[in-house]
Amino acid sequence: MTLEEIKQLVQVVLESGVAELEVARGENRVRIRRYVESPVREVIVQPNSAMAVASTGPAAVNAATETAATEAKLPAREAKPEQPAEQENLVYVKSPIVGTFYEAPSPGAAPFVNVGDRVRPGQVLCIIESMKLMNEIESDTAGVIVAKLVQNGSPVEYGEALFAIRPD
Amino acid sequence: MNFRIVRLETTPSTMIEARNCEPGTVVVAREQTAGMGRMGRQWHSPRDTGLYCSLVLEPPCSLDKLPVVTLALGLACQQAIQQLTGLVCDLRWPNDLLIAGKKCGGILVELHEGRLIAGIGINVNQTEFPAELTQIATSLRLVSGREHSVDELLGLLLKAVEEHLNLLRQQGPEPILRLFTQCSSYARGRRVQVGQLRGITDGLDPCGFLWLRTTDGRRILIRSGDVRPIEVEDKVWPDSTAI
Repeated sequence: MTLEEIKQLVQVVLESGVAELEVARGENRVRIRRYVESPVREVIVQPNSAMAVASTGPAAVNAATETAATEAKLPAREAKPEQPAEQENLVYVKSPIVGTFYEAPSPGAAPFVNVGDRVRPGQVLCIIESMKLMNEIESDTAGVIVAKLVQNGSPVEYGEALFAIRPD
Repeated sequence: MNFRIVRLETTPSTMIEARNCEPGTVVVAREQTAGMGRMGRQWHSPRDTGLYCSLVLEPPCSLDKLPVVTLALGLACQQAIQQLTGLVCDLRWPNDLLIAGKKCGGILVELHEGRLIAGIGINVNQTEFPAELTQIATSLRLVSGREHSVDELLGLLLKAVEEHLNLLRQQGPEPILRLFTQCSSYARGRRVQVGQLRGITDGLDPCGFLWLRTTDGRRILIRSGDVRPIEVEDKVWPDSTAI
């Protein structure tokens, strides 16, 4: 890996806002870490693998490999933004299926809900798409959204927490 | 199941109309002014040329297996089209209907307030498409060279949907997955690109997700994303001998 390539990676980290970027190519491994005030999502890029998993947006590929990409996905989940303290009396809305999380009904549209919004039972919070089946996820609880735990366009697992709600 | 058919002259989208209907209802329109595709895309729906309908259904299986419904509906469309026209369309995972590589139909499924709303659009008698669609869209008439009855197609489709959902209800996903693997050229052994990933498809997993074997030998489970073919002539294909 040349000095020029490393400079380009530093630029990518600065422009993208990720806290840490690790790139491995053969025996070479470079990790660029940026210290910021609030924790942000960590992205690990491995050669030829995890880009598709780490990317977000409506066109993102939701894929998991038996090896590298699965491993790459896990650390990304540990550094969730806005993770509320576990001891609070919160209700977690969990994904009933494996799929892709969408916060809005279509690209460019306003999210169904934002942090701070008051929600009522039956209100649609997001869509989980699984094989082009658009699954509206509704709130069972009346309360206030205190955290959105998944980024738009990200893959979600069965039972994964999507939102934290402070019940009324 | 006895379907109750609601016929509309025109509507922005049968999907919107169907959200207020009971299970067993089929909303069918002569034209849609804002036909819905996936993720906010539009479905070209000119008057009296295609089948534009939305079926309101009770979920035939538990939520975790529900995505298989998408595959079952694709199989139902394929069967109805073959019965009406003799044309055998291909199914591009998970739910595009293709003839000669061009799209002749699409399926969009929503789970809304505990009910499934399955939007099905099939290009039947179109003789032309807008310039931006001519390379990717076709109709049953363009391929077969003759007109077909949209109403007859609807009747065959409802029968086929019922058959395939009953199969799913009674025997679980396995027969649907097996049928899809037989009826889709995309399920196994097809060179495709999904986002930045390239490889050869390698069957379906028990949930209906698509296995992809990449050029470097990894096996990746594709859960969503647009699957596109890579033709043999494609010079970009990096190492076709490696697989």
